[in-house]
Amino acid sequence: MNFALEAEGLVKTYGAVRALDGLSLRIPAGGVFGVLGPNGAGKSTLFRIALGLVRPTSGTARLFGNPAGQTASLRRVGAMIETPRYPPYLTARDVLRMLAMESGATGSADIEYWLERVGLGGAADRKAGTFSVGMKQRLGLAAAFFTRPELVILDEPTSGMDPAGIQEIRALIRDLAAKEGVTIILASHQLDEVRRVCDRVAIFSKGKLAAEGDVEALTGGKPRLRLTVSPVDKALAVLGAKGEPDGQNAVLADVLRAETPALIRALVEAGVEITEARWREGDLESAYLGALEPADRKNEDLVDAR
Amino acid sequence: MLADAIAAERFRLSRDRTALFWGFGFMPLVAMLFSMAGDVFVRIVLRRGMPGETTVDLANRAMGAVAGASGPVTALFLLIGAAAIFAGDYRWETWRLITPRNSRTNLLAAKLIVFAEVAAWSLLLTAFTAVLAGLFGSVIDHGRLVAPPDGSAFPGHFAGVFVITWLEVLLIGVLAGLVGILTRSTMGAVIAGLVVVFVQSTLAATMQATTWKSLAIPAYGGRILKAFVAAPDEVRPEAGPAGLALVLLLVWLVVLACGAVALFRRQDLTKE
Repeated sequence: MNFALEAEGLVKTYGAVRALDGLSLRIPAGGVFGVLGPNGAGKSTLFRIALGLVRPTSGTARLFGNPAGQTASLRRVGAMIETPRYPPYLTARDVLRMLAMESGATGSADIEYWLERVGLGGAADRKAGTFSVGMKQRLGLAAAFFTRPELVILDEPTSGMDPAGIQEIRALIRDLAAKEGVTIILASHQLDEVRRVCDRVAIFSKGKLAAEGDVEALTGGKPRLRLTVSPVDKALAVLGAKGEPDGQNAVLADVLRAETPALIRALVEAGVEITEARWREGDLESAYLGALEPADRKNEDLVDAR
Repeated sequence: MLADAIAAERFRLSRDRTALFWGFGFMPLVAMLFSMAGDVFVRIVLRRGMPGETTVDLANRAMGAVAGASGPVTALFLLIGAAAIFAGDYRWETWRLITPRNSRTNLLAAKLIVFAEVAAWSLLLTAFTAVLAGLFGSVIDHGRLVAPPDGSAFPGHFAGVFVITWLEVLLIGVLAGLVGILTRSTMGAVIAGLVVVFVQSTLAATMQATTWKSLAIPAYGGRILKAFVAAPDEVRPEAGPAGLALVLLLVWLVVLACGAVALFRRQDLTKE
């Protein structure tokens, strides 16, 4: 299996602060990989090490099998780390021209196409210093994608954007991953965004890997139908192995969407009263909080012991 | 790779008109305007002219202006330009945008090369504006234009003074680069650079004897070198001190530039 980014025993300390604490992680090439974690969990530090902005205290990081920070590997990578900033005297078009020159990609980078694609076609000749946060994010995305990299690292790409912009960018990310085979690593605090966009997820806590896996596996599988019913035992009898109780007056049905009408008909025919039926999507929030809990609890135990 | 970084840095500076004007264009232009205003004041306001026939040696005027372009006042403005080039990425937090696209050595080398390039243009502008001011003065004073007394040797003298001043200016720029990287601040680069320039200029002005210690002060070494290359053959001072001054000037340049590169290569760019 090819890995876009590998970290092995990565440690990064800033004085007394341990931003990464022996992090080991392998991000496969292809698809969209989500990185979740609270502030200070070490997400940005991992990206900064991968991009050669920061040197690890110990451990190794590799991009496409080569040591992180090497220019040859970095030219296969596009990135947007935290809120992007630009020299305020450059226009959006100038920013991309300068970056194309810096990357040695003046011939291949399609600046006009990418400005249009991120919705900045009309602001291409405006100085970046006058841009709103959302526009800066859009320009950052164009800067990350416009040299056609194999791997793109995006740190909070939709923060500061309006809802329509967020939808556009999510579609763009999925499109690039699906149609052009770009590997995308996406760090976000928006769990819903990660659930919608990512194939796999890693959850960081206090500089360590707390959990990793397919989004479906982490969220407890596919969506289930939650029915508020009475009586519950009669409903469970109809559902058989596909049902389980969820509280005192509800059941969870593990069925496909196409099977829903037949199931409801069967329940009604069995004399079950249904007051509500809704789909419960995979719950990444529970998985996220669950992954963070052991580390937090350990710390609380330590404090209690003192 | 280095060529890519140079092209990008050159493009970027061409768009930073504020840094270009204040750092590299302001002093030559303001010196020209002061000279013209002085001529106008003397001739028209005071209604005085020079006694006897006035002659204007444009060539030596240009060489004198270039020779003086490494002084403390000019250094202040050069430091502003150098700080914008070397420490601008800390100010605008743009290292994270640029560093993954080229090697750190190339990025810093490109800044050094572009500074060297624009400093040379600034010195040429200084010479040109000095000529313009001289022409203006000759018109105002009805002065006669004359050729430099050293005739055919002048281009060599001018080139020598130009190169020595350029090296001094480069030293100011490299110093700003090193301090800018160390402090991650444009203001730090300007202030620390200015302190060093004033201290060395003051020391150079008080130096009496030419020893290796005094020659190690770039302002003094530069003065000895310029006096050597601009002097007519018959009164040219000894070559020994001038040679040593040149070596020491180059050593300073190499040490500061290598220090800046070494520091930048190892620097963590967390929050620029």
